Amino acid sequence: MAQPAYPAEDVLSLAMDLGKSMIRCGAEINRVEETVVRICRAYGMQQTEVFSIVSLIVATTRDPDGREATRSRRIYSYATNFMQLEKLNALSRRLCALPVDPASVREELDTINRDPVKLHPTACIGYILGASAFTVFFGGSWKDALAAAPIAVILWLIGSLVKVHGMSKLFVTALSSATAGFLALGFVRLGLADNAGMIMIGDIMLIIPGLMLIHSVREMLCGDLMSGLLRLLESLILALAIACGFAVPILILG
Amino acid sequence: MDLKQALILILAGAAGTCGFSLLFRLRKKLIPCAVLGAVLTLVVYVICLRFLHHAFFQNLFPALFGALYAEIAAKVTKSPATQYLACAIIPLVPGGGLYYTMYHFVTGDMASFHTQLTQTARTAAGLAVGIILISVLVHQWRYRSLKTIFEEE
Repeated sequence: MAQPAYPAEDVLSLAMDLGKSMIRCGAEINRVEETVVRICRAYGMQQTEVFSIVSLIVATTRDPDGREATRSRRIYSYATNFMQLEKLNALSRRLCALPVDPASVREELDTINRDPVKLHPTACIGYILGASAFTVFFGGSWKDALAAAPIAVILWLIGSLVKVHGMSKLFVTALSSATAGFLALGFVRLGLADNAGMIMIGDIMLIIPGLMLIHSVREMLCGDLMSGLLRLLESLILALAIACGFAVPILILG
Repeated sequence: MDLKQALILILAGAAGTCGFSLLFRLRKKLIPCAVLGAVLTLVVYVICLRFLHHAFFQNLFPALFGALYAEIAAKVTKSPATQYLACAIIPLVPGGGLYYTMYHFVTGDMASFHTQLTQTARTAAGLAVGIILISVLVHQWRYRSLKTIFEEE
Protein backbone atom coordinates (compact mmCIF):
# COMPACT_ATOMS: atom_id res chain seq x y z
CA MET A 1 0.00 0.00 0.00
CA ALA A 2 1.26 3.49 -0.85
CA GLN A 3 2.54 5.70 1.95
CA PRO A 4 -0.30 8.00 3.06
CA ALA A 5 0.23 11.63 2.12
CA TYR A 6 -1.54 13.06 5.18
CA PRO A 7 -1.12 12.39 8.92
CA ALA A 8 -3.56 9.93 10.50
CA GLU A 9 -4.80 12.60 12.95
CA ASP A 10 -5.95 14.96 10.20
CA VAL A 11 -7.58 12.21 8.17
CA LEU A 12 -9.44 10.82 11.16
CA SER A 13 -10.58 14.27 12.28
CA LEU A 14 -12.06 14.96 8.88
CA ALA A 15 -13.72 11.55 8.62
CA MET A 16 -15.28 11.96 12.05
CA ASP A 17 -16.49 15.48 11.46
CA LEU A 18 -18.21 14.16 8.39
CA GLY A 19 -19.66 11.28 10.39
CA LYS A 20 -20.89 13.65 13.08
CA SER A 21 -22.59 15.84 10.49
CA MET A 22 -24.25 12.74 9.03
CA ILE A 23 -25.70 11.70 12.39
CA ARG A 24 -26.88 15.26 12.94
CA CYS A 25 -29.02 15.10 9.81
CA GLY A 26 -30.46 11.71 10.61
CA ALA A 27 -28.21 9.05 9.04
CA GLU A 28 -28.26 5.45 10.27
CA ILE A 29 -25.42 4.34 12.51
CA ASN A 30 -24.03 1.62 10.25
CA ARG A 31 -23.91 4.12 7.43
CA VAL A 32 -21.88 6.52 9.55
CA GLU A 33 -19.45 3.85 10.72
CA GLU A 34 -19.01 2.67 7.15
CA THR A 35 -18.30 6.21 5.95
CA VAL A 36 -15.58 6.79 8.56
CA VAL A 37 -13.88 3.48 7.69
CA ARG A 38 -14.08 4.10 3.96
CA ILE A 39 -12.61 7.58 4.14
CA CYS A 40 -9.73 6.48 6.35
CA ARG A 41 -9.03 3.61 3.99
CA ALA A 42 -9.14 5.88 0.94
CA TYR A 43 -6.46 8.03 2.59
CA GLY A 44 -4.20 4.98 2.96
CA MET A 45 -4.84 4.10 6.61
CA GLN A 46 -4.28 0.44 7.32
CA GLN A 47 -6.86 -0.33 9.94
CA THR A 48 -9.76 1.64 11.33
CA GLU A 49 -12.05 0.75 14.22
CA VAL A 50 -15.23 2.74 14.77
CA PHE A 51 -17.90 2.56 17.40
CA SER A 52 -20.84 4.87 17.20
CA ILE A 53 -24.12 5.47 18.95
CA VAL A 54 -26.52 8.33 18.27
CA SER A 55 -24.75 10.65 20.68
CA LEU A 56 -21.09 9.60 20.31
CA ILE A 57 -18.55 8.41 17.77
CA VAL A 58 -15.21 6.92 18.81
CA ALA A 59 -12.65 5.79 16.27
CA THR A 60 -9.01 4.70 16.08
CA THR A 61 -7.06 4.48 12.88
CA ARG A 62 -3.56 3.12 12.19
CA ASP A 63 -1.27 4.25 9.39
CA PRO A 64 1.11 1.82 7.61
CA ASP A 65 3.95 2.79 10.01
CA GLY A 66 1.87 1.56 12.94
CA ARG A 67 1.17 5.01 14.41
CA GLU A 68 -2.31 5.28 15.79
CA ALA A 69 -4.71 8.18 16.16
CA THR A 70 -7.89 8.18 18.24
CA ARG A 71 -10.65 10.75 18.13
CA SER A 72 -14.12 11.08 19.55
CA ARG A 73 -17.11 13.25 18.69
CA ARG A 74 -20.17 14.04 20.77
CA ILE A 75 -23.54 14.62 19.08
CA TYR A 76 -26.10 16.62 21.03
CA SER A 77 -29.04 16.89 18.70
CA TYR A 78 -30.26 15.58 15.41
CA ALA A 79 -33.08 16.22 12.96
CA THR A 80 -33.81 14.73 9.57
CA ASN A 81 -32.39 16.92 6.82
CA PHE A 82 -32.11 15.07 3.52
CA MET A 83 -30.70 18.00 1.59
CA GLN A 84 -27.67 18.14 3.88
CA LEU A 85 -27.39 14.36 4.04
CA GLU A 86 -27.25 14.14 0.27
CA LYS A 87 -24.45 16.72 0.11
CA LEU A 88 -22.51 14.91 2.82
CA ASN A 89 -22.91 11.60 0.99
CA ALA A 90 -21.66 13.16 -2.23
CA LEU A 91 -18.69 14.68 -0.40
CA SER A 92 -17.72 11.39 1.22
CA ARG A 93 -18.00 9.55 -2.08
CA ARG A 94 -15.80 12.17 -3.72
CA LEU A 95 -13.19 11.90 -0.97
CA CYS A 96 -13.09 8.12 -1.34
CA ALA A 97 -12.52 8.44 -5.07
CA LEU A 98 -9.97 11.25 -4.79
CA PRO A 99 -8.44 11.81 -1.32
CA VAL A 100 -7.54 15.51 -1.39
CA ASP A 101 -5.87 17.53 1.39
CA PRO A 102 -8.14 17.27 4.50
CA ALA A 103 -7.58 20.94 5.29
CA SER A 104 -9.01 21.99 1.93
CA VAL A 105 -12.26 20.08 2.55
CA ARG A 106 -12.90 21.72 5.94
CA GLU A 107 -14.41 24.81 4.43
CA GLU A 108 -16.79 22.83 2.24
CA LEU A 109 -17.90 20.77 5.23
CA ASP A 110 -18.53 23.96 7.21
CA THR A 111 -20.60 25.37 4.36
CA ILE A 112 -22.75 22.24 4.24
CA ASN A 113 -23.24 22.28 8.01
CA ARG A 114 -24.12 25.93 8.17
CA ASP A 115 -27.82 26.61 7.81
CA PRO A 116 -28.33 30.37 8.10
CA VAL A 117 -32.12 30.32 7.80
CA LYS A 118 -33.81 29.77 11.14
CA LEU A 119 -37.43 29.71 10.08
CA HIS A 120 -37.84 27.75 6.86
CA PRO A 121 -41.13 28.80 5.20
CA THR A 122 -41.24 25.58 3.14
CA ALA A 123 -41.01 23.57 6.35
CA CYS A 124 -44.03 25.52 7.62
CA ILE A 125 -46.01 24.46 4.54
CA GLY A 126 -44.82 20.93 5.23
CA TYR A 127 -46.11 21.12 8.81
CA ILE A 128 -49.53 22.36 7.67
CA LEU A 129 -49.86 19.82 4.86
CA GLY A 130 -48.63 16.96 7.05
CA ALA A 131 -50.92 17.76 9.98
CA SER A 132 -54.07 18.34 7.91
CA ALA A 133 -53.49 15.29 5.71
CA PHE A 134 -52.86 12.97 8.64
CA THR A 135 -55.95 14.29 10.43
CA VAL A 136 -57.98 13.03 7.45
CA PHE A 137 -55.81 9.90 7.21
CA PHE A 138 -56.77 8.87 10.73
CA GLY A 139 -60.47 9.54 10.14
CA GLY A 140 -61.00 13.23 10.92
CA SER A 141 -63.45 15.44 9.01
CA TRP A 142 -62.43 18.30 6.70
CA LYS A 143 -63.28 20.74 9.51
CA ASP A 144 -60.79 18.94 11.75
CA ALA A 145 -58.19 19.12 8.99
CA LEU A 146 -58.70 22.89 8.76
CA ALA A 147 -58.37 23.25 12.51
CA ALA A 148 -55.15 21.22 12.48
CA ALA A 149 -53.49 23.76 10.17
CA PRO A 150 -53.08 26.75 12.55
CA ILE A 151 -51.93 24.39 15.29
CA ALA A 152 -49.30 23.04 12.90
CA VAL A 153 -48.01 26.58 12.36
CA ILE A 154 -47.60 26.99 16.10
CA LEU A 155 -45.80 23.65 16.35
CA TRP A 156 -43.52 24.81 13.55
CA LEU A 157 -42.72 27.99 15.48
CA ILE A 158 -42.03 26.07 18.69
CA GLY A 159 -39.95 23.52 16.78
CA SER A 160 -37.86 26.26 15.24
CA LEU A 161 -37.35 27.93 18.61
CA VAL A 162 -35.72 24.77 19.97
CA LYS A 163 -32.90 25.16 17.50
CA VAL A 164 -32.64 28.86 18.26
CA HIS A 165 -32.43 28.64 22.04
CA GLY A 166 -31.34 25.04 22.54
CA MET A 167 -34.04 24.26 25.10
CA SER A 168 -34.43 20.70 26.34
CA LYS A 169 -36.05 18.56 23.67
CA LEU A 170 -38.24 16.72 26.14
CA PHE A 171 -39.61 19.91 27.65
CA VAL A 172 -40.29 21.46 24.27
CA THR A 173 -42.07 18.31 23.09
CA ALA A 174 -44.35 18.30 26.13
CA LEU A 175 -44.97 22.02 25.71
CA SER A 176 -45.83 21.55 22.01
CA SER A 177 -48.26 18.79 22.83
CA ALA A 178 -49.93 20.75 25.64
CA THR A 179 -50.30 23.84 23.43
CA ALA A 180 -51.74 21.76 20.60
CA GLY A 181 -54.13 20.11 23.07
CA PHE A 182 -55.45 23.43 24.41
CA LEU A 183 -55.98 24.77 20.88
CA ALA A 184 -57.63 21.58 19.60
CA LEU A 185 -60.05 21.47 22.54
CA GLY A 186 -60.65 25.20 22.09
CA PHE A 187 -61.55 24.79 18.44
CA VAL A 188 -64.02 22.04 19.29
CA ARG A 189 -65.59 24.15 22.09
CA LEU A 190 -66.04 27.02 19.64
CA GLY A 191 -67.75 24.66 17.21
CA LEU A 192 -65.07 25.10 14.56
CA ALA A 193 -64.13 21.42 14.56
CA ASP A 194 -65.74 18.06 15.36
CA ASN A 195 -63.23 15.87 17.14
CA ALA A 196 -60.30 17.11 19.21
CA GLY A 197 -58.74 13.62 19.24
CA MET A 198 -58.50 13.59 15.44
CA ILE A 199 -56.94 17.05 15.30
CA MET A 200 -54.47 16.01 17.97
CA ILE A 201 -53.38 12.85 16.19
CA GLY A 202 -52.80 14.77 12.94
CA ASP A 203 -50.67 17.37 14.68
CA ILE A 204 -48.94 14.80 16.86
CA MET A 205 -47.70 12.96 13.78
CA LEU A 206 -45.40 15.96 13.29
CA ILE A 207 -43.67 15.59 16.63
CA ILE A 208 -44.06 11.91 17.51
CA PRO A 209 -40.85 9.92 16.92
CA GLY A 210 -42.55 7.23 14.79
CA LEU A 211 -39.77 7.02 12.24
CA MET A 212 -37.24 6.93 15.08
CA LEU A 213 -39.05 3.89 16.49
CA ILE A 214 -38.74 2.07 13.16
CA HIS A 215 -35.07 3.05 12.90
CA SER A 216 -34.42 1.78 16.41
CA VAL A 217 -35.94 -1.65 15.72
CA ARG A 218 -34.06 -1.76 12.45
CA GLU A 219 -30.73 -0.95 14.11
CA MET A 220 -31.27 -3.54 16.82
CA LEU A 221 -32.06 -6.22 14.24
CA CYS A 222 -28.93 -5.19 12.31
CA GLY A 223 -26.75 -5.71 15.38
CA ASP A 224 -26.30 -2.07 16.44
CA LEU A 225 -27.82 -2.89 19.80
CA MET A 226 -26.60 0.10 21.78
CA SER A 227 -27.70 2.65 19.23
CA GLY A 228 -31.02 0.90 18.68
CA LEU A 229 -31.74 0.70 22.40
CA LEU A 230 -30.93 4.37 22.91
CA ARG A 231 -33.18 5.35 20.04
CA LEU A 232 -35.97 3.11 21.32
CA LEU A 233 -35.71 4.61 24.78
CA GLU A 234 -35.66 8.12 23.39
CA SER A 235 -38.71 7.56 21.21
CA LEU A 236 -40.64 6.03 24.13
CA ILE A 237 -39.75 8.88 26.45
CA LEU A 238 -40.65 11.49 23.84
CA ALA A 239 -43.99 9.75 23.23
CA LEU A 240 -44.57 9.74 26.99
CA ALA A 241 -43.82 13.47 27.11
CA ILE A 242 -46.36 14.06 24.33
CA ALA A 243 -49.01 12.03 26.14
CA CYS A 244 -48.34 13.87 29.40
CA GLY A 245 -48.47 17.18 27.57
CA PHE A 246 -51.89 16.38 26.13
CA ALA A 247 -53.18 15.15 29.49
CA VAL A 248 -52.84 18.67 30.92
CA PRO A 249 -55.48 20.40 28.72
CA ILE A 250 -57.79 17.40 29.10
CA LEU A 251 -57.59 17.64 32.90
CA ILE A 252 -58.18 21.38 32.85
CA LEU A 253 -60.83 21.65 30.12
CA GLY A 254 -62.36 18.20 30.62
CA MET B 1 -62.95 -0.96 4.16
CA ASP B 2 -64.72 0.11 0.99
CA LEU B 3 -63.20 1.70 -2.09
CA LYS B 4 -64.04 5.25 -1.05
CA GLN B 5 -62.34 4.86 2.32
CA ALA B 6 -59.32 3.32 0.63
CA LEU B 7 -59.08 6.23 -1.80
CA ILE B 8 -59.28 8.79 1.02
CA LEU B 9 -56.59 6.89 2.90
CA ILE B 10 -54.27 6.85 -0.11
CA LEU B 11 -54.87 10.49 -1.07
CA ALA B 12 -54.49 11.77 2.49
CA GLY B 13 -51.38 9.64 2.89
CA ALA B 14 -49.93 11.10 -0.30
CA ALA B 15 -50.61 14.67 0.83
CA GLY B 16 -49.13 13.89 4.25
CA THR B 17 -46.01 12.44 2.68
CA CYS B 18 -45.70 15.56 0.55
CA GLY B 19 -45.82 17.61 3.75
CA PHE B 20 -43.24 15.43 5.46
CA SER B 21 -40.90 15.58 2.48
CA LEU B 22 -40.87 19.37 2.91
CA LEU B 23 -40.33 18.94 6.64
CA PHE B 24 -37.39 16.60 5.99
CA ARG B 25 -35.99 19.16 3.52
CA LEU B 26 -35.99 16.73 0.62
CA ARG B 27 -34.70 18.26 -2.60
CA LYS B 28 -37.74 19.62 -4.51
CA LYS B 29 -36.90 17.68 -7.67
CA LEU B 30 -37.12 14.40 -5.78
CA ILE B 31 -40.50 15.05 -4.12
CA PRO B 32 -42.73 13.62 -6.93
CA CYS B 33 -40.73 10.41 -6.96
CA ALA B 34 -40.90 10.13 -3.16
CA VAL B 35 -44.66 10.77 -3.07
CA LEU B 36 -45.23 8.21 -5.81
CA GLY B 37 -43.40 5.70 -3.62
CA ALA B 38 -45.72 6.48 -0.71
CA VAL B 39 -48.83 6.12 -2.91
CA LEU B 40 -47.76 2.74 -4.27
CA THR B 41 -46.78 1.55 -0.80
CA LEU B 42 -50.20 2.62 0.49
CA VAL B 43 -51.89 0.69 -2.32
CA VAL B 44 -49.99 -2.42 -1.24
CA TYR B 45 -50.96 -1.64 2.36
CA VAL B 46 -54.66 -1.33 1.53
CA ILE B 47 -54.58 -4.66 -0.31
CA CYS B 48 -52.80 -6.26 2.67
CA LEU B 49 -55.40 -4.80 5.07
CA ARG B 50 -58.10 -6.51 3.02
CA PHE B 51 -56.57 -9.98 2.97
CA LEU B 52 -54.29 -10.25 6.00
CA HIS B 53 -55.31 -10.01 9.63
CA HIS B 54 -52.09 -9.67 11.58
CA ALA B 55 -50.49 -6.24 11.98
CA PHE B 56 -47.02 -7.72 11.42
CA PHE B 57 -47.88 -9.04 7.96
CA GLN B 58 -50.08 -6.05 7.12
CA ASN B 59 -46.95 -3.92 7.42
CA LEU B 60 -44.28 -6.40 6.32
CA PHE B 61 -45.34 -6.50 2.66
CA PRO B 62 -45.78 -2.74 2.20
CA ALA B 63 -42.34 -2.28 3.81
CA LEU B 64 -40.81 -4.84 1.43
CA PHE B 65 -42.36 -3.00 -1.47
CA GLY B 66 -41.43 0.48 -0.19
CA ALA B 67 -37.81 -0.51 0.43
CA LEU B 68 -37.52 -2.09 -3.00
CA TYR B 69 -39.04 1.00 -4.57
CA ALA B 70 -36.59 3.19 -2.65
CA GLU B 71 -33.61 1.20 -3.92
CA ILE B 72 -34.81 1.38 -7.52
CA ALA B 73 -35.69 5.08 -7.28
CA ALA B 74 -32.26 5.74 -5.77
CA LYS B 75 -30.58 4.00 -8.69
CA VAL B 76 -32.66 5.89 -11.25
CA THR B 77 -32.30 9.36 -9.71
CA LYS B 78 -28.75 8.72 -8.38
CA SER B 79 -29.50 9.86 -4.82
CA PRO B 80 -29.51 8.02 -1.46
CA ALA B 81 -32.25 5.42 -0.93
CA THR B 82 -32.82 6.52 2.69
CA GLN B 83 -34.84 9.55 1.69
CA TYR B 84 -37.23 7.58 -0.53
CA LEU B 85 -37.57 4.91 2.11
CA ALA B 86 -38.45 7.38 4.86
CA CYS B 87 -41.08 9.02 2.64
CA ALA B 88 -42.55 5.72 1.43
CA ILE B 89 -43.17 4.37 4.94
CA ILE B 90 -44.09 7.61 6.72
CA PRO B 91 -47.88 7.02 6.40
CA LEU B 92 -47.45 3.53 7.88
CA VAL B 93 -45.17 4.55 10.74
CA PRO B 94 -47.04 3.82 13.99
CA GLY B 95 -47.01 7.42 15.22
CA GLY B 96 -50.64 7.16 16.23
CA GLY B 97 -50.11 3.80 17.90
CA LEU B 98 -47.11 5.04 19.83
CA TYR B 99 -49.04 8.07 21.02
CA TYR B 100 -52.18 6.13 22.01
CA THR B 101 -50.02 3.58 23.85
CA MET B 102 -48.48 6.29 25.99
CA TYR B 103 -51.75 8.16 26.33
CA HIS B 104 -53.54 5.10 27.76
CA PHE B 105 -50.56 4.55 30.03
CA VAL B 106 -50.81 8.11 31.36
CA THR B 107 -54.58 7.91 31.87
CA GLY B 108 -54.24 4.47 33.49
CA ASP B 109 -56.40 2.54 31.00
CA MET B 110 -54.23 -0.58 31.16
CA ALA B 111 -56.38 -2.80 28.92
CA SER B 112 -56.24 -0.30 26.04
CA PHE B 113 -52.57 0.33 26.80
CA HIS B 114 -51.82 -3.34 26.34
CA THR B 115 -53.77 -3.62 23.07
CA GLN B 116 -52.11 -0.54 21.61
CA LEU B 117 -48.65 -1.61 22.78
CA THR B 118 -48.98 -5.01 21.09
CA GLN B 119 -50.31 -3.45 17.90
CA THR B 120 -47.56 -0.80 17.79
CA ALA B 121 -44.82 -3.36 18.45
CA ARG B 122 -46.14 -5.62 15.69
CA THR B 123 -46.37 -2.74 13.22
CA ALA B 124 -42.85 -1.53 14.04
CA ALA B 125 -41.45 -5.05 13.77
CA GLY B 126 -43.21 -5.66 10.45
CA LEU B 127 -41.87 -2.45 8.94
CA ALA B 128 -38.34 -2.95 10.27
CA VAL B 129 -38.10 -6.57 9.15
CA GLY B 130 -39.36 -5.67 5.67
CA ILE B 131 -36.80 -2.91 5.31
CA ILE B 132 -33.97 -5.10 6.57
CA LEU B 133 -34.79 -8.01 4.26
CA ILE B 134 -34.48 -5.75 1.23
CA SER B 135 -31.33 -4.02 2.45
CA VAL B 136 -29.64 -7.37 3.14
CA LEU B 137 -30.51 -8.60 -0.34
CA VAL B 138 -29.31 -5.39 -1.98
CA HIS B 139 -26.07 -5.45 0.03
CA GLN B 140 -25.36 -9.04 -0.94
CA TRP B 141 -25.99 -8.38 -4.58
CA ARG B 142 -24.06 -5.12 -4.71
CA TYR B 143 -20.98 -6.35 -2.88
CA ARG B 144 -20.75 -9.49 -4.91
CA SER B 145 -21.00 -7.68 -8.21
CA LEU B 146 -18.65 -4.81 -7.42
CA LYS B 147 -15.91 -6.61 -5.47
CA THR B 148 -15.62 -3.71 -3.08
CA ILE B 149 -12.98 -2.91 -0.53
CA PHE B 150 -14.74 -4.99 2.11
CA GLU B 151 -13.53 -8.18 0.49
CA GLU B 152 -9.89 -7.20 0.77
CA GLU B 153 -9.93 -7.79 4.50
